[in-house]
Formats: sequence, C-alpha cells, structure tokens
Amino acid sequence: MIYLQRVTKRFGSAAEALSNVSLRVDPGAMAFITGPSGAGKSTLLRLIAGLERPTRGRIRVNGHDLDRLSNRAIPGFRRSIGLVFQDHRLLFDRPVFDNVALPLEILAYRRPEMRKRVRAALDKVGLLHKETVNPRTLSAGEQQRVGIARAIVHRPVLLLADEPTGNLDPALSREILQLFDDFNRVGMTALIASHDLGLVERMGKPVLHLENGRVEARVAGEGTA
Amino acid sequence: MKPARRLLDVVPAWLEAHRDAGRRSLQRRLQAPVLSLISIAVLGFILALPAYLWVLLDNARALSAHVDHDPRIALYLDGVEADTVAELERHLETDARVERWTWIDADDALANYREGMSDPGLLDWLDENPLPDVVDVVPVTADPETVAALREALAATASGATVVSDDEWVRQLNSLHQLGLRILAVVGALLGLGALLILALATASELRERREEIAISRISGATHRFLRRPSLYGGLITGLGGGVFAGILLLIGIGLSRAPLEQAAAAFDLEFALAFPGADHLLTLLLTGLLLGWLGARLGSGHALRDAP
Repeated sequence: MIYLQRVTKRFGSAAEALSNVSLRVDPGAMAFITGPSGAGKSTLLRLIAGLERPTRGRIRVNGHDLDRLSNRAIPGFRRSIGLVFQDHRLLFDRPVFDNVALPLEILAYRRPEMRKRVRAALDKVGLLHKETVNPRTLSAGEQQRVGIARAIVHRPVLLLADEPTGNLDPALSREILQLFDDFNRVGMTALIASHDLGLVERMGKPVLHLENGRVEARVAGEGTA
Repeated sequence: MKPARRLLDVVPAWLEAHRDAGRRSLQRRLQAPVLSLISIAVLGFILALPAYLWVLLDNARALSAHVDHDPRIALYLDGVEADTVAELERHLETDARVERWTWIDADDALANYREGMSDPGLLDWLDENPLPDVVDVVPVTADPETVAALREALAATASGATVVSDDEWVRQLNSLHQLGLRILAVVGALLGLGALLILALATASELRERREEIAISRISGATHRFLRRPSLYGGLITGLGGGVFAGILLLIGIGLSRAPLEQAAAAFDLEFALAFPGADHLLTLLLTGLLLGWLGARLGSGHALRDAP
C-alpha cells in the first residue's frame, strides 16, 4: 500500500526535513510514526498524501508512483485517501453534517446515498446527534471525531493521521486510537503519526521512529518493513 | 471509493452538484449582501453607459432612415446655353441611373409661386422672372454613392448649372452614425475590459475567503473544475444582477433624455421622438452582463486556483 525508497525532502535551501527514509506498509496493516516535533513526521505524511513532492527517492502509494504523478491525476489519487489533522481543520461556516459530507460532494454522490453515509460515519464516531450543530460549539475531542468521520466517510483504502491525539487528554486519546484500530480491522490501511510514545507502545503495532528527518529505530510488526 | 456510477446516476448527480454549487453561491451572496450589491452596481454602471450610447445611435439611424427614401437631384439651369440643355435632355433619357425627371419651367414655377402668395401683386414689382428653369431628377436608387456619381455626371453635362442633391445631409448623418458606432465599440470594449478585471478581482478575493475550504477540498481530491464551480455561478449571479440594474439605469436615462432631445430636435425643425430601448437592447444587455460575469469569474478563479498544489 505504501512504499518509500530512500526518500529525501528538502524545503528550499534549508536542512533536509527527511533524509533517506525507506518504509513499507502492506495493505490492511496499521503502523505508527513517532518522534519529537520537527522530526519530519508531518512531512512524511504529506509526501505520502501527495501534498508534497519528494526531492529525491521513490514513493509508491496505492499503486501510484507519486514522484511521477501528473497534476491531473492528483485529485483522483487523493480520493482514495483519508486525512486526519491535529487541528481538525473543520469548516466553521457550515454544520457538522456538511463538514463530513464534503468528500462525498467532491465524489458527486447523490443526496440519499450521501445522507446515509454521512450518518453512518457520524454514528461510528458517536456524534450522530450533533449533525446539525456548528462544529465551533463542540469540544476538542468531538471536533477531532468530526474530522475523523470526514476522513473515513468515503471509505478510503488508506487513512493517514497527523497527531490526531495531540490536543486530547489520555482517555480521549485512547478512544481515538481505538477508533483507528476499528477501521483497520475492517480493512482500512492506517498510518498514524504521534509523539505520544507510551500510547503508541500500548497499541502493539509496528513503529517507525524519526529523529531529525532520519529513521532512528523501527519496531517491526505485521505487514511493515 | 467509487460512487454509484450507474449511468442513470451520473446525470442527476451532476445536476445536483451544479444545483448545490449555485445554491451555495447564492447563499454566500445573501450572507454578505453589501459586497455583492456593490459588484452588481459597478457592473450595472459600466454596462449602462455604452447601452445608452447604443440606444441613442439606433434612434439617430431611425431618424436618417426616416428621410432616407427618394433622394432627388435638382439642376438649376440659370444661364445655361440651349445646346447644353438639349445635351442634358439626351443624357437624362439615356442614363440608366435616372428613374424619371421633370422639367419645371421658370414661368410655370413663377405662376405656381404666385398662386401660393397672399398678395400676388408684389411680384409685379419685379422686372423679370428671378426663378431659373429647374430639372428635378429622381435616381433609381437611394444609395448615396450612386446618387453622388449621377450628380457629378449631370453636373459635367450641364456645365454652368447649379446641381444640388438633397441626400447630402443624409450622407453626413450616415457618416456620423458610423463614427458613433466606432466610438461605441471602443468605449464598450474598454469598459468591458475594466468590468472583467473588477469581476476577476472580486472572484479572487472571494476565493481567498474560501481558502480553508479549498485546501480541505483539495486534500479530499477536489478538481479545479469543482472548486471554481461556485465562483462561476457567482459570476453569473453578479452578471444577471448587473444586466438588470443596467437595464433599469438605461430606461431611466432614456426617460430623462426624451424631453430635452425632442426640444433640441424641434429647434432644428425635426420631428423626432426618442424611442425607449427595445427587447433586443435589454436582452443584449442581460446577455452581456452574464457573459462578463462568467468570464470575470473564470479569469479570477483560474488565477487564484492555479498556484496551489
């Protein structure tokens, strides 16, 4: 599903944000990226999501060679991915339902099917009763769950999450990671970046540890290398 | 990942997507009515000026068409030799450009004149008939160039005669009309370009306000086409509003110009009523507004969306 070969990313003339990172995540696997802030976790996820292009190296995601993907092909590629952000990035000019429906609108779903899927996704994260409220009125944990519902509503094959528990207390964090585990169990490949080492270790999944843009350690596990 | 792509679903889904984009665009405008009304007003003012010129020109052309028919050439044969007159008669008989001609004898003309006078005795004070013999020529066509050529040919034959054609001022009016059309085209093009840039700027700033939505949509795989769709509908809404507003301004402007223009025409002994703009004028105004709105939005959104990944 994800295959990186000696990938380097440099922004302008600054130091390399990522140096020679190689990684493999098989379809259906779940893995974590850890490291302190500034280690390159976000950059790695952005490269995998096709939001940045590598300076050197090869990236293959869901059958697409991202280093060679044309601009025209990018939207199609991104539709197969769900992305969760630390700061949720919800749109406060519309209710929860419309936030979650956005990927389906882009995919030109028809209304009845859209309603069904949005409600299913909100039900999954336990916020079905909040579909008509403005996300601004929700707590941080609820906002994050709306963000997750939006990331999975179109049933992507790959779920990428950048510090999804960054602003949450430990109990809420465990809840969120449990959600990702549930999605993974039904076949969604998941790659999650987190600086919370203790939490990640308890999940018992493969881990790639980054420091200063380099791979410092790996905890091997099922479906990764 | 694939939506239900049954053929029967594609068209309704597309229609729904357009309806949603249009509705959302309208909602955004209703939420910030002042800014959208300013855009509409700017477009309306810009469209109204060339439209006003256009209606005036059409009125002027109607005026010239009114007097356009039946141009005549008059030859005043004052002091022309008898030989020349005979030659002129042969010319009039043979020239294909002559429809018909009439000889108005100087004595007949004076008698005619006398009948029309309240005190015919006044004419007896004259030593001799001051009126010349006149040949009144009706050309086969009203085409100004043919008439001018015929006039020159007749003047060459009847040397010494004064040759006058009454199509001169129609020709002048026509050339003024051509000039007016040219000015209208230049003014219209310049104002249209200005409107286009203003609308493009408005669209770009609206897209800046939507940038978080656009960023999220891009991450979710939105295409340029999808992202700019609401802007294009916005442009059409502004264009429609601007066209309607310009139409109202035009009707008011023509209404206010009627009395002074008719007075001015009366001072030149012309009977002239300024016609209100017709359905063709108003429809063209509306379509021009829609076209400018759409083009401006396309220009602005193309520029604003191009840079992002």
